[in-house]
Amino acid sequence: MQQPAPGHIHLLSQMIADINQIFGRIGFEFAEGPEREFVRYNFDMLNVPQDHPSRDMQDTFYLDGTDDKVMRTHTSPVQVRYMEVHEPPIKMICPGKVFRNEATDATHEAQFFQLEGLWVDRDISLGHMKGVLEYFFSEFFDGKAEVRFRPSFFPFVEPGVEVDMMIEKNETNKLSGRWIEVMGAGMTHPNVLRAAGINPEVYQGFAFGMGIDRLAVLKYGIDDIRLMYNGDLRFVTQF
Amino acid sequence: MKISRNWLQTFFEAPLPPATELESLLTFHSSEIEEVITVGDDSVLDIKVLPDKSAWLLSHRGVAKEISVITGLPLQHDPFVHPVVLTPVTSQVAIELSTDTCDFYSAAIVTGITVGPSPAWLVAALAAIGQRSINNVVDATNYVMFDLGQPLHAFDAAKLGQVDGQYQIGVRSARPLETIVSLTGESYTLQTSDAMIVDRTNDVAIGIAGIKGGKAAAVDAGTTSLIIEAAHFNRVAIRASSKQLKLATDASKRYENGVSKAVAPIALAAVVKLLSEIAGGTLVGYQSVGDPTVVRPPVTVPIDRIRSVLGLPLTVAEISEILERFRFDYTITDSLVSVTPSFERDDIVIAEDLIEEIGRMYGLDSIVAIPPLRASVTAFNARHYYAEIVRVTLTQLGFNEVFTSSFRSSDVVHIKNALASDKSYLRSRLHDNILESVQKNIPHRDLLGLSAVKMFEIGTVFSGEGEAVHVGLGVQTGTTYKAKIDDALLVEAQTALVNALGTPLSWTGTEEGVSEFSLDEAIIVLPRPAAYAPITASAVVSYVPFSLYPASSRDIALWVPLTTTHDEVASILRTAAGTLCVRITLFDTFIKGDRTSLAFRLVFQSKEKTLEAGEVDTQMTAVYAAAAKAEWEVR
Repeated sequence: MQQPAPGHIHLLSQMIADINQIFGRIGFEFAEGPEREFVRYNFDMLNVPQDHPSRDMQDTFYLDGTDDKVMRTHTSPVQVRYMEVHEPPIKMICPGKVFRNEATDATHEAQFFQLEGLWVDRDISLGHMKGVLEYFFSEFFDGKAEVRFRPSFFPFVEPGVEVDMMIEKNETNKLSGRWIEVMGAGMTHPNVLRAAGINPEVYQGFAFGMGIDRLAVLKYGIDDIRLMYNGDLRFVTQF
Repeated sequence: MKISRNWLQTFFEAPLPPATELESLLTFHSSEIEEVITVGDDSVLDIKVLPDKSAWLLSHRGVAKEISVITGLPLQHDPFVHPVVLTPVTSQVAIELSTDTCDFYSAAIVTGITVGPSPAWLVAALAAIGQRSINNVVDATNYVMFDLGQPLHAFDAAKLGQVDGQYQIGVRSARPLETIVSLTGESYTLQTSDAMIVDRTNDVAIGIAGIKGGKAAAVDAGTTSLIIEAAHFNRVAIRASSKQLKLATDASKRYENGVSKAVAPIALAAVVKLLSEIAGGTLVGYQSVGDPTVVRPPVTVPIDRIRSVLGLPLTVAEISEILERFRFDYTITDSLVSVTPSFERDDIVIAEDLIEEIGRMYGLDSIVAIPPLRASVTAFNARHYYAEIVRVTLTQLGFNEVFTSSFRSSDVVHIKNALASDKSYLRSRLHDNILESVQKNIPHRDLLGLSAVKMFEIGTVFSGEGEAVHVGLGVQTGTTYKAKIDDALLVEAQTALVNALGTPLSWTGTEEGVSEFSLDEAIIVLPRPAAYAPITASAVVSYVPFSLYPASSRDIALWVPLTTTHDEVASILRTAAGTLCVRITLFDTFIKGDRTSLAFRLVFQSKEKTLEAGEVDTQMTAVYAAAAKAEWEVR
């Protein structure tokens, strides 16, 4: 018998390891938190008040027998958990699974992976955020990347922005030469810093969050993100 | 929200830029534009208004104001600038508020109404934003709502009772199980937390407060006199009622987003004026309860902080110029700026809110990137570190990694609002998903060139209270579980993992070739990592969509001269097999005398259909012919 072909590490794991290495080179630590999260971490401490339309921005799975836990809708609660036990300067990323109670299609899954990032120090500005994101996308997409911001709103940041990315025009890269919407970001809201025990009079910083699936779609041309979660080796073994 | 360019133009004397330019200006200074469509001679921008701006941007006035601030074009009239005094006051209507849900209620009595079609300009304006014209009275209230953002409602006064020549409007909590039939005929059952508009002479409900009017006092073709409501309702209460009743309307959306109560009297006067122009109405007078005044405290921020948050070296003059365009009341020195936002701007409360306004109007595109400096991390994530060791170890043994759903059809923790009944529990182990995935991949073995399906998942499982990351393995060589063969492969992997991690692992008992252990539990006894293993980025491959039709396999064994390599043979066979042959795998080889025996498995698959046996056989005939031509004896 011929030796079996070596197996494949799932694309998502490959990407997470790559992301960790890229951010590790600029001092961002890999943080984590629970997937079943307290409502106060998932919403309240992130400046998403109960009975406010901003809670509708993320459709949530609730659990029987508890009103104070949900399936986390984003990796942002890890920001709060991390800040509770670390002093600035804080530089962290958190890749992790999140849950949204949404109908699934080729571009939406009820469970998917998100990448959170946070940098808090005395004088961190949107300029630092732009620099970090340009660095990350340049490394991750292997081409000189530029980012631009558009005004947006996420309750846990102020100002909040949508981030578009463009990779310098390059004949071999189909993504290059056009603006692509990639993530939401902004300056961490003072209420979030305060809730996590950090004095917003002294410290400020930025946070960002994006779908790792979205990065996969862009980088590898995947046409249906559900392929990443259905255990089909015809997909897994391509990478 | 849909915004008409022609409608926006009514706020400006100077011609507005074309819609595509408005789209770009709004995109980079205000809000995302979902699409721009042409409707007759008009262009309509669909603006995605997010919750921070929803109190004041769900209207043409709101968007016109944004454009004015962005472009510097002045508004020729801003209905929000001049205070409105609701005069004359009439005593023909009395208003009583008995619930906290309503803190301001104003009403106008208008007589001499002729209900009929709306003028063409009004029909066109509403049509542009996707609203159907109903009649001049209803259209007028809708127009003012989309113009200023204030919901309005017109009651047919003749359908309301009077006491001593006085209409009696009330806002009260609903009684338990009280019902109301809406304007459009649906019946709703209310809870005591919902508020109703009632005719107090007979306690009949004439509207669900802040959400929808009732049938009892609906305007119809014969209506000649109106009581028009412009009120302010508590945003949280309206949100709760709207959710409870599963009834979201243009009105409820604006209330739950906190439209300013100071808009109510402005809108009431505006609709009365419009009705007098298009429906022959004559104002009898106004009545109101509550104080619509909104006082916003000033927001103060050091100039340095604006620069430090935005990363923009703004000058005092540049900041002043932006605040001028907003027409905010402000004071500014070299070190401090203090701004009193206009009444509708409930989103400017803290320094950061103001910084955002200045930043977006100055232009976020001016922010200069500050490249990060190289730095190293000093704390390493143990789960990631050890998970990577697991991945490397298992893939070396031919295992493939999968990610599967965290949900199951049945388990311990039940999800209150599951998407589907087969996804209504959190998984308490990886076992079931892995077994399903293994079995699902068995038919693809030949296609993938695998002698066994070997897979693993590293994922979170949930008990009643806790959660933990498990590593689960699954192996199956045949179409059914074969304990002897499959378990040996599993044990090989288990042993390799114990060696790689350097600690005994608590495996669950093997069932059907599947076993798992808690990585979190193992990590407790493992040393803290001191560095991550470097990864070498593999070449970026593009995903290739695969055929969803089944594959068919055929085997061929040949005697070839010792000097002939299996690659040469495979190449010739592949060419002969044609494009339907998607894989050729050498699965057996041995030497006997001066010849080598090579056995290949050819896998055929179409992207368009399920192949019939005959089609595959035809291809194989060509393969045999090629072998014969090369003088290789088929065994």
